[in-house]
Amino acid sequence: MENIYLPELAVIDKIVEETRDTKTFTLRFADENYNSRFSFKPGQFVEASVFGVGEAPFGFCSNPNRKGSFDITVRAIGAVTNAMHRMDVGDVLGIRAPLGNSFPLEEVKGLDILFIAGGIGLPPLKSLIEPMLDRRQDFSNFTILYGARTPQDRVYKSILADWEKRNDLVFMQTVDSSHDGWIGNIGVVTTLFEKIEIDTTKTVAFTCGPPVMIRFVIQELLTLGLPEDRIISTLERYMKCGVGKCGHCAIGNKYVCVDGPVFSYRQIKKLPEK
Amino acid sequence: MTQVGQKLVVEREQMLGLLDALRKDMDIIGPTKMPDGEVTFEHIESSKEITFDYMNDFDPLKRYLLPAKEDLFTFKLGQKLPKLEAASPKKPQLLFGVRSCDVQGFVHMDAFFSGAYQDNYYWERRNQTTIISMACNRPLDTCFCICCNGGPWLERGFDLQLTDLGGRFLVDVGSDKGVDLLGRIKGAPSTASEKEESQRQALMQACDAQMIPTAYLAKAVIQITNNRVRDELWEKMGAECFSCGGCTHVCPCCTCFDVQDCTIDETTGVRFRCWDSCQYSGFTREASSHNPRARTKERVKRRFYHKLSYAYIHQDGHPGCVGCGRCITVCQAFGLLDISAVVKRLRREGQPEPKPVAANA
Repeated sequence: MENIYLPELAVIDKIVEETRDTKTFTLRFADENYNSRFSFKPGQFVEASVFGVGEAPFGFCSNPNRKGSFDITVRAIGAVTNAMHRMDVGDVLGIRAPLGNSFPLEEVKGLDILFIAGGIGLPPLKSLIEPMLDRRQDFSNFTILYGARTPQDRVYKSILADWEKRNDLVFMQTVDSSHDGWIGNIGVVTTLFEKIEIDTTKTVAFTCGPPVMIRFVIQELLTLGLPEDRIISTLERYMKCGVGKCGHCAIGNKYVCVDGPVFSYRQIKKLPEK
Repeated sequence: MTQVGQKLVVEREQMLGLLDALRKDMDIIGPTKMPDGEVTFEHIESSKEITFDYMNDFDPLKRYLLPAKEDLFTFKLGQKLPKLEAASPKKPQLLFGVRSCDVQGFVHMDAFFSGAYQDNYYWERRNQTTIISMACNRPLDTCFCICCNGGPWLERGFDLQLTDLGGRFLVDVGSDKGVDLLGRIKGAPSTASEKEESQRQALMQACDAQMIPTAYLAKAVIQITNNRVRDELWEKMGAECFSCGGCTHVCPCCTCFDVQDCTIDETTGVRFRCWDSCQYSGFTREASSHNPRARTKERVKRRFYHKLSYAYIHQDGHPGCVGCGRCITVCQAFGLLDISAVVKRLRREGQPEPKPVAANA
């Protein structure tokens, strides 16, 4: 029987400092055979171990079409994440992956695609944005809205700049506050809604961010008339095992780790707790 | 040739002799009397240590399949790559004299630890475990297994099920493992006669009759499933609960665990899992300090949702309760928050106000 709790070893190939408290780690499995066979889907996640400290879940943020390595973006906030931030290139983590369900991709072909991300909610969405952009012609209008606390708190600044230059998508960003010559939008991410046009008959929205942001975004989308099954979000819960056994991430009779993390609003609405 | 489903009769001495014969192949765990008179299920060296004068262990026997603390793997750092070693396979074990409610708890755990992700540590233990259960001839005053299909005797879940007919046992053969066990017994067991079967029937009916059906679950299931419980009652129960986690620790159906790393020295350590409780405030607290169930009320509500909502009953095939009554004994909140008290309170104090009927309707 497969050992569902024993991680694979993964080497840190690269570390990028995104913000003052957030880094992106590029990882590759030490076992080359395992590494070459490994694949994941957008929206899935890993359980990453720092041996001696513990294990924590992180969404994949790199393009699943990229083989040979993958990225996770990590904000230093607890014991495991702070320990990860102290690590260097060449250091080794434990990884159990891929875990969880994934974003619908084939199912939304031909639709208008709308992403609404807040802060550290952009990384998991990026694992879907990038493979979609690889086959941009399969989708209709493509819009990405991104909100962060300050300009410095934005992750993937060079990628954001690339998106801004592209003419086959609309990219808008906003910050809650700024003190240093930011000439872009100021205000919460929902204030960007009035600047775009949403055809509710053929739009699917993907949103990820802090719980309070997600709540407001969903409310706004419902007010605009977007159907509940075309509002896709991810739920976040404290998690230990990642395989539906430890019980921590249960909401109602669903386990975020195996039944999620991706849920449509139609599913979220039915949960007995919010 | 003995077959699954057969009913046999075995003398008490034969059964004890079997345990002594099996002793060299496996750990034997059975009811033993402590110096203070309390009976707990412990590892035994000889069948002489076994007592038949017992009701049940205060601690659920789930600890022999899901130990309170269990190593997952050790890690050794210091080299280029850390070295991980999974915890070693377990020794075969025989659980003797397990009460029906605990067996029903095992049935619950078997289902839970299966599915898309088979819990390898659970199954390593489970596959090497033999269960000889003991049907109950009389209940404790906290027992309510008849409310939850958890006893006093069972149809499945055991390898052998014994019913004490006084000096001899009626034996239900529950599995191939049970057939093999009987093959090792000295002297051929006899087939149960009609008289012996009706004697068992009478014993079980007498046990049923002595049990006070304190936990009438059906109404509570409907209320919880449809969220038709006055919020004030959850509020009240939240204020009464000490969040001690006792109810979940003694529950044969509660399986939640935490996972922790423990360093032994600078380069070695172990990752283990240990029982956790949804009643602890830290159970759902995230690193950001966001906590979806920060309030006791929400955690009490969660516990009974898991035990009694139709969503879970449908998924598991039965409620998350076997009627062992241990939560009644353990609850510090003056008998207010065990499952039998709560289903009663839901019925009596928890009914929401009827919806106002619209005028001229």
